[in-house]
Amino acid sequence: MTAPVITESTPEPANVLRRSRVSRDRTRVLGVVGGVIVLVLVTVAVLAPVLAPYDPTERAGVPFSPPSADHLLGTNDVGQDLLSELIYGTRVSLTVGIVAAAAAMVIGTIVGLIGGYLPRLGAVAMRGVDVVLILPFLPLLIVLAAYLGRSIVNTVIIIAILIWAPTARVIRSQVLSLAKRDYIVAARSMGAGHGYVIWRHVLPKTLLLAIGEFVAATSGAILLESSLSFLGLGDPLQESWGSTLYWAQARGAFLTPAWKWWVLPPGLLIMLSALGFALLGYALEQRINPRLRRS
Amino acid sequence: MNARRLGLARLGQYAIVLVVAVSLNFALPRLMPGSPLALIAGVEVGEMTPEERAAVTADAGLDEPLVVQYLTYWKSILTLDFGYSFRQGTPIEELVLDRLPWTLLLTLTALVVAGAIGIALGAFAAWRRGSRWDVGSLSFMIALESTPQFWLGMLFIALFSVSLGWLPSFGATTPGVELSGLAWAADVAEHAVLPVLTLSILSIPAVYLSMRYSTLSVLGEDYIRTAQAKGLRPRAVMLHHVVRTALLPVTTVLALRLGWAFGGTVVIETVFSYPGLGRLMYDAVSARDYPVMQGTFLVFTIAVLLANLLADSLYPRLDPRTRV
Repeated sequence: MTAPVITESTPEPANVLRRSRVSRDRTRVLGVVGGVIVLVLVTVAVLAPVLAPYDPTERAGVPFSPPSADHLLGTNDVGQDLLSELIYGTRVSLTVGIVAAAAAMVIGTIVGLIGGYLPRLGAVAMRGVDVVLILPFLPLLIVLAAYLGRSIVNTVIIIAILIWAPTARVIRSQVLSLAKRDYIVAARSMGAGHGYVIWRHVLPKTLLLAIGEFVAATSGAILLESSLSFLGLGDPLQESWGSTLYWAQARGAFLTPAWKWWVLPPGLLIMLSALGFALLGYALEQRINPRLRRS
Repeated sequence: MNARRLGLARLGQYAIVLVVAVSLNFALPRLMPGSPLALIAGVEVGEMTPEERAAVTADAGLDEPLVVQYLTYWKSILTLDFGYSFRQGTPIEELVLDRLPWTLLLTLTALVVAGAIGIALGAFAAWRRGSRWDVGSLSFMIALESTPQFWLGMLFIALFSVSLGWLPSFGATTPGVELSGLAWAADVAEHAVLPVLTLSILSIPAVYLSMRYSTLSVLGEDYIRTAQAKGLRPRAVMLHHVVRTALLPVTTVLALRLGWAFGGTVVIETVFSYPGLGRLMYDAVSARDYPVMQGTFLVFTIAVLLANLLADSLYPRLDPRTRV
């Protein structure tokens, strides 16, 4: 009984890339592509008020109008400009993705440090990781969202709760190998406390790894946010790409020609951003992760 | 550690997961701000007199100490009494059993489809490793994994149901028509095509990758070189020596994907208005029907655990090398 690994039952962000081996040059190209995508999207998010032709909450045109010179992507069911909605949605989707992944990185790093450095407490912590990894992902997300209520902060918290576990595993294995190194043993034998050793020697060496994990996790967090908003569990006042699709679904836009401008663009944006972060995270990981560097 | 002890450790771990899931169900409505009455008994607290409130509180057992409430909750779960739907007043077990076959139909079919496609593509990519085909299919899988599944479902409906008119866009059967025998089966199959397609796409990248990876590692084995040295044709080596061995670890991935596909039905069944468990959960959330939501969450948890158990017990049977 060795083979079954529980991790497989959970959607690890960007795990296609993780288990593949791609040549060095190709890695660099993928990283650059990912970086450019992320950079463009972040620019759009920052410059949203400048780029968007309308206020996304304003009823700027006739409801359900097809694309025209005034509204490049048409309008939605209450006459709001869809292009502006998507541009402002970039802010929400990216913010939720990045903040949730950052929170997950912090939780994951702390648990990973404990798991790798303190054997007894670590064993308990890693059991916790297993439980989070095995619980049904989407249903748990929905249950938490239903009780906590719809707000952007809650969305971030829920996603972070769900995605920190893989990071904890990666960090732990790094810490485990670090803890056996001579200089750490030496520091300990000279009387350095656990806190000092972790802060001074272990953390700096795991931080880069955690950053790679963070970028990859952002990809998964963006996808999760879109699912949550699509199910109508996102913040009703902060419309993300997923919320646009929720309304498109609720108004049956995919049953009419409107799918070309109402359904297609938000999904492409979600896909593009998830892909951008996944590629960037992969390229970073290839450079950072010592176990991958050999190949 | 021997196999039996490892098996027991696994079982213990699954038991912990179940305890956590049930405890979450118990704790969440009680931890939320405001009266838990609205969440547990499904009543409007604002419109009641204090006496009525006290009566409802006692009726729902909410005046008992928390420990007693917790134990009572466990007792009801273990006797498969999941409570009643706020909206329909039906026992939740009935609702779940009603929906379960549809979800099983979708997830199991999707698993077969995803398994067949993922294994074939993965083996082929590994066989032609480094080729244009290998790199191309890998890139495609990466893009696929970044695609929101519900969006893909919506596009399928727009394309195959609305534009081309080939397949129905919602439900599991044609409403208002009484069919039997083969006609009924054909109707069901027609309705299942798009949801199954969307759901299987969810799992193809994982299967593809594990098959590709596992094939690559088998290709490096000595006995493969022996087979090649004997003068067997590459195709024969691939089919009889490589793929058979490479399939072993993939079965684990497949069994675990089953649990994962189960959860994915919440989104897919919502898009296709498919009357399965996922849709039941979505409707319960929209209608604030908390007991139904909790019941479906538990069923999904149990499904994931069963899929894991299946993977655990299947593997040593298939691969004698792992038997201790």
